[in-house]
Amino acid sequence: MRSLILRSFMTATSLACLATPGLADPMADAQAIVASHKDMPVFEAPGEPFDAKSCMADKKVLSVPISMTIPFNVELQKAMASAAEEVGFTYTTWDNQLKTDQWIQGISQAISQDYDVIDLAGGLNPEWLGPQLKEARDAGLQISATHLYDVTQDQIDSIDSAGKIDYTAAGKLLAAWAFVETEGKPNVLIIGSSDVLPSIPFVKAIQDQLTELCPDCKQKHLDVPVSEWATKIQSGTQSALLADSGINYILPIYDSMSQFVLPALRITGSEEAVGVASFNGTPFVLDMLREGQVDMDIGESLGWAGYAAIDSIMRMVCDLPPVAKLNVPLLIFDEENVETAGVPATFDDGYGDAHLEGFRTLWKLN
Amino acid sequence: MTSLDMQTGKPSLSMRVSKLNWKTEGERFALVFSWLLLIVLFGALMPDSFLSWRNFSTMFGSQAVLVVLTLAIVIPLTSGDFDLSGASILTMSSMIIAVLNVKLGWPIVPVLLIALLTGAVIGAVNAFFVLYFRIHSLIVTLGVGTFVNGLILWISNSQTISGVSMDLVEWVIINRLFGIPLAFFYAVGLAVVLWYVMEFTIPGRKLLFVGRAREVARLNGINVTRVRATSFVVSGTVSALAGLLYAGMTGSADPLSGLNLLLPAFAAAFLGATSIVPGRFNAFGSLISVYFLVTGITGLTMLGANTYVQNLFYGGALVIAVSLSQLVRNRQPQDFS
Repeated sequence: MRSLILRSFMTATSLACLATPGLADPMADAQAIVASHKDMPVFEAPGEPFDAKSCMADKKVLSVPISMTIPFNVELQKAMASAAEEVGFTYTTWDNQLKTDQWIQGISQAISQDYDVIDLAGGLNPEWLGPQLKEARDAGLQISATHLYDVTQDQIDSIDSAGKIDYTAAGKLLAAWAFVETEGKPNVLIIGSSDVLPSIPFVKAIQDQLTELCPDCKQKHLDVPVSEWATKIQSGTQSALLADSGINYILPIYDSMSQFVLPALRITGSEEAVGVASFNGTPFVLDMLREGQVDMDIGESLGWAGYAAIDSIMRMVCDLPPVAKLNVPLLIFDEENVETAGVPATFDDGYGDAHLEGFRTLWKLN
Repeated sequence: MTSLDMQTGKPSLSMRVSKLNWKTEGERFALVFSWLLLIVLFGALMPDSFLSWRNFSTMFGSQAVLVVLTLAIVIPLTSGDFDLSGASILTMSSMIIAVLNVKLGWPIVPVLLIALLTGAVIGAVNAFFVLYFRIHSLIVTLGVGTFVNGLILWISNSQTISGVSMDLVEWVIINRLFGIPLAFFYAVGLAVVLWYVMEFTIPGRKLLFVGRAREVARLNGINVTRVRATSFVVSGTVSALAGLLYAGMTGSADPLSGLNLLLPAFAAAFLGATSIVPGRFNAFGSLISVYFLVTGITGLTMLGANTYVQNLFYGGALVIAVSLSQLVRNRQPQDFS
């Protein structure tokens, strides 16, 4: 009888342990996630080597970024153009200012000028240009989308390939960072923008990781469309901080949101008590980090991103298997290494240049 | 001309006089009562957080930029002109501060003066095209604003610039009086000055006459062109002041975000025209309308409402308030000719 009771107790305990979400040592797991993104990036080949120069001979690519008034897109285009020049094919950026008619003009130009590929870059959603892309495909052009989808998202049928970014990994990293920095007691405000396609899995990755690390910890999601960042982020953050004075970390998923978060912290007198960590590695935010206004920023080298995007496009043109995600490392910038990003910071300093030799070898340019 | 017609008939009986006065006073202070009602409502729902002084100081301090921009556009609206370049001037002013102070390392005080001067110059350009070529202010200020937006992208290289002098940041939101950031007091001070000028000075009364009846003002010997030109220049300068506060608020400048303040400023100006001095764009009405709107939005956000609810409140409150005001005045047509 005693053994039966004991066995029943042990079974019940085991089941209880299985039913309880969470990890055996969440702090160790969170620290491991953070540590894996602190080292200088190492080049990992995204696929098999191929002879890019001969494959891309006489090919023409026209890239339509979402807007050239966004510095991120300007730098991404520079890197893509540089990679294309190394390989030796025609690469054109269609300059625009976030206007639908300008995107349509770009696609029409690509069709009439006999381009082979239209690339929608830096967040331009192909769903906004359905009829135009159909016309382009009917004319024999291939369509790619660069730096739009998260690795967990499926691309739509109207495009041929997508250079996906691991926003999910960035989300997990932000959650782990907040967990470590608050010594396992995060009360987090996440600021997202659901109108930006990858924001949804990005925010979900943060929420899931926080729940996994700390099932009982509080988290709140403030959803602000991009067009209303200037008018809603500051007021929304202020209200959240006033409604819950226990909030100890803010995670704006895109670092340009930070300029509207900081005034909210100053006005509510929460600068000392609340940390800020974000994603993108935008130079002005890295400058803020250097001045101690932001605690951490996950950088994604746009030099790496540009070369990886061209690699993905060339694999589509050369009929090679697509890559699962763009080979863009996520590197933590904090007070220890932010100086390596430059003073003032740039989009591409601090990541090393392992990608240059890596891609040249991969494309058989050496 | 841009004026809201508020003519009411003369009462013949004392009863009608007292009824009309009650109606008029009710209309004057309806927005103030609505604001207090909101405070009571949210205070009852969230007594600990909403009724805290920290919450009120935060609301007061954070809206100073919008108050100043609203006051800037109220000036030409009073003289019968629209200024759609206000938010562009604000953004240009903050960007000039960031470029000169951060990129070129100039000391902050002369940089602030240059930013204000730039606002005055853009206002003068608006005035020149509106008055010399006799083009509607809506068209000119839209064009000049767009031109200025291009200049902002050019001088900033489309980049956000952080690291504006902490002296400015301290004198805008870090230093406080009664726990409220100084920016609030600058905005209230400006509202008081504008109210005084409009009500008790000759230039202010001329501005009103020009806005109400331009030809009548001209026939009475008022130099209408000079009055309108002055209103554009002052509006540009005050918009630049709003940009100065914006740079101090964020400690940075970016080429786009300030432009989003144009519509909220116009909404506050029109909502303000239903209050305190109904039928006329006025400083205190504008001030109260900004804080009425932010109180509603803050309360809703603290209750956990989604972002879109803010837009519903903002747009709904504007249309309902103006409509009720029209009902009180027996739906007399508004004159925006």
